[in-house]
Amino acid sequence: MGCGCTDCEKMMQPYIDRVLSDDQIAEAKEHLAACPPCEKRFRFEEKLRAFVRVSVEEPMSDGLKAKLAGLRSTL
Amino acid sequence: MSESAPTAAETRRIAEEARDRVRFEEEALQLSDQVYRVARRMVSTREEAEDLVQDTYARAFRSWQQYTPGTNLRAWLLRILTNLNIDRGRRVQRTPEQQPLEEGDYFLYNRLESTISDDNPDEERVLERLSQNAVVDALAEVPHDFRDVLVLVDIGEFSYAEAAQILDIPVGTVMSRLHRARRILKQQLAEKAMAA
Repeated sequence: MGCGCTDCEKMMQPYIDRVLSDDQIAEAKEHLAACPPCEKRFRFEEKLRAFVRVSVEEPMSDGLKAKLAGLRSTL
Repeated sequence: MSESAPTAAETRRIAEEARDRVRFEEEALQLSDQVYRVARRMVSTREEAEDLVQDTYARAFRSWQQYTPGTNLRAWLLRILTNLNIDRGRRVQRTPEQQPLEEGDYFLYNRLESTISDDNPDEERVLERLSQNAVVDALAEVPHDFRDVLVLVDIGEFSYAEAAQILDIPVGTVMSRLHRARRILKQQLAEKAMAA
């Protein structure tokens, strides 16, 4: 790969987790704007996060829904 | 004394409590899809997840008065769920502390990109190297302690602080486990994509 931006690589997870300070975000954005390989990897990471979430989705069965509703107190 | 008719104040208190309880139950039930989503990936099978969610709601409804209104109910429910899951004596897994991991967060991207013949493919094409089934299988390979954190943060969308509260571990531990969990997941995803 054509990018040796290890500082940027280290910032990727916290950047996507939105836990960087404003200064760090500005720094990361500045670098990303100037470095297409890093930018692409950041976009990939965000999409990967969403893809993982969607892939493991398994809707709750109606049976379980009914059972939970049945646990409510009767007044 | 105890035989005397309830005073107006007592009657009002009882009515208020009943109303609060119904409201609590409704709010908790509205979160059940989100609770199930997390539960499903903390255990291996649908059946286990359903039992766990059912036990969680049974306990939550019994001890609803311990919940402080205005605080995060979803986190409160997940705290019960993770405790129940641990109480069930889930099987102990080797902690893979010694297992070497690929360094770097760009690792998965670079591996997947190397399987595409085009120069400089866009990230959508790189992501297409992964299947949904591969993600499910890869996640199941992540050991429990690490997976719990990943499931809460990346799938349940809890903050580090909320995950720490739910699992009753320090925030620093959440961060280190999350870091490791994501590396393990990526390593698994890379292996599955290369094998496909």
